[in-house]
Amino acid sequence: MSNKKNSVLEISKPKAVTFKTRLRHTKEKWKASDFSAYIFILPAMIIVSMFIIYPAIWSLVASFRNINPMELRDSGLFEVVGEWIGLDNYIDVLGNQLFRKSLLNTIYFAAIFIPLTMFASVTIAMLLDKGIKGSSVLRSIFFIPYVISIVSASLVFMIIFAGDTGLVNAVLAYFGIESISFLSETGWAMPVIALMSSWRRVGYFMLIYLAALQNIPKSLYEASDIDGATSMHKFRYITWPMLGRINMVVFILLMIFSFNIFQEVFVMTGGGPADSTITVPFLIYNEAFTFYDMGSAAAMSYILFAVVVFVGVVQHKINKNKLDY
Amino acid sequence: MVKNFKKRSIALGLYILSAIFMIPIYWLITSSLKTNIEITRIPPTFWPEQLAFENFVDVIQRLDFARTFFNSTVVSISATLLIVAFSTMAGYAFAKKKFLGKNFLMMMLIGTMTIPATVLLLPLFFVITKIGLYDNLLALILPFGVTIFGIFFMKQYIEDIPDSLIEAARIDGCGEFRIFFSIIVPLIKPAITSLVIIEFVNNWNSFTMPLVLLRSPDNFTLPLRIGLLAKDTVAVPWASLMAGNVLTVLPVVIAFLFMQRFFIKGILGGSVKG
Repeated sequence: MSNKKNSVLEISKPKAVTFKTRLRHTKEKWKASDFSAYIFILPAMIIVSMFIIYPAIWSLVASFRNINPMELRDSGLFEVVGEWIGLDNYIDVLGNQLFRKSLLNTIYFAAIFIPLTMFASVTIAMLLDKGIKGSSVLRSIFFIPYVISIVSASLVFMIIFAGDTGLVNAVLAYFGIESISFLSETGWAMPVIALMSSWRRVGYFMLIYLAALQNIPKSLYEASDIDGATSMHKFRYITWPMLGRINMVVFILLMIFSFNIFQEVFVMTGGGPADSTITVPFLIYNEAFTFYDMGSAAAMSYILFAVVVFVGVVQHKINKNKLDY
Repeated sequence: MVKNFKKRSIALGLYILSAIFMIPIYWLITSSLKTNIEITRIPPTFWPEQLAFENFVDVIQRLDFARTFFNSTVVSISATLLIVAFSTMAGYAFAKKKFLGKNFLMMMLIGTMTIPATVLLLPLFFVITKIGLYDNLLALILPFGVTIFGIFFMKQYIEDIPDSLIEAARIDGCGEFRIFFSIIVPLIKPAITSLVIIEFVNNWNSFTMPLVLLRSPDNFTLPLRIGLLAKDTVAVPWASLMAGNVLTVLPVVIAFLFMQRFFIKGILGGSVKG
């Protein structure tokens, strides 16, 4: 921690550091190093650099190149083949109708998924927090969907929302409503995917909210009891504001999750009907592994990356301001 | 009286909600026990007319599930073992040791956490192909042999171990690895259990990477198998598929139910503290 502060100070006062003092510091640190540490971090570092950092860099370089799949087959591990074409891939992608559509689809998904998941997990957490009988069993029940894989959950939701043979349509028929082929209608396919994603995730966020609720000092509620506050008031003026920071964190996590929707689309709809469920990751997968357009897949994934980083930076800024009160 | 009534209505509301949450699981189990004819009936039956346990036999024999199940087990257990070993080692070094480049490396690790999985899809396929692991189960083990979450999770727990304990062992003449194995590891057993269960579930459920990195059905893992089966076949044998789905879901649900204390602790330790 103190090291970090020093370096910030040093940057703000450029006079204080010369290259020599830097070098001296580094030398001192090197001498004070416990060299066994390098052995302990070695396996982790090899894996991270080989399978995360190097691929990320390769992809960045590839996004500026026109890669021929045939050339790629003969290339070495540490080279990126293809002619350097500057920003052409990015310009192509931004002009791509399907890419824009996939962005809109992702927003549509997020607009259903985020509020639904937040509302359900806050509500369940608050009810569980009241300490009723059997709440630990209930907690487990709400959490079980989270350990079920996306593929398995997708398959189950496919038969529940199936055209005529599905459970939901059977219930609708009971009330005299005509059956809907949910997964083959453009307006319905995405909400079903969002509902499934919510079902899987609510248990996880419920846990986070439960922990946050237990951190709210009980004295606040006791004081408001004396003032004669109703439970609505307590929620409005104590619980909700106290959850402010965690709400922000949950919102960002859900947003990042929304940018990564792939498996559920792949299994449930394959992007259809009429491209209405194509998401950005699904499009990237298709560009790379169906059309072998590596450059454009790489460019798309870096645009996605930029969006995620942007969201993270905004979150960081907002959190900082909120903490400063 | 009023308070009691309120509590009861809350309980009732929660019971109803949890029942709604269990509908997909109920539907999964009942569907896996219907015959392939009954499952296509309109309207659907709410309970199988005759319990078709032969679905499970069918899925194991015809769809080669034994092999797939074995692949999934090998991949998940090996990857989990590597993750636990390498994350604990790295977490220990970051928590308790001073070395040049420590801050830089930690910043780098945090930085890699922002990379969306989708970004790595294509280049990881490239790297794996070039090192000759394409269509090999090792491709699902080695690259995933450490997680950034695991490193920071272990670091956080190892930081709570008092330095004096390590110093005392060092004075007694313990070597660095002896300190690690006979002092650090026994003290963080609960954290290791949490990491084991979380990473096992993650690897068991993995779909995207097997989809990209495997080609021959002999090497498929469970989620890949059932995921592709649902897409490929013209007339999907849904009842058999659901039997396969039950077999896929069962191990992780059982693992969760038996070790939920560790699981939940791990989830909260990783997200709220950090």
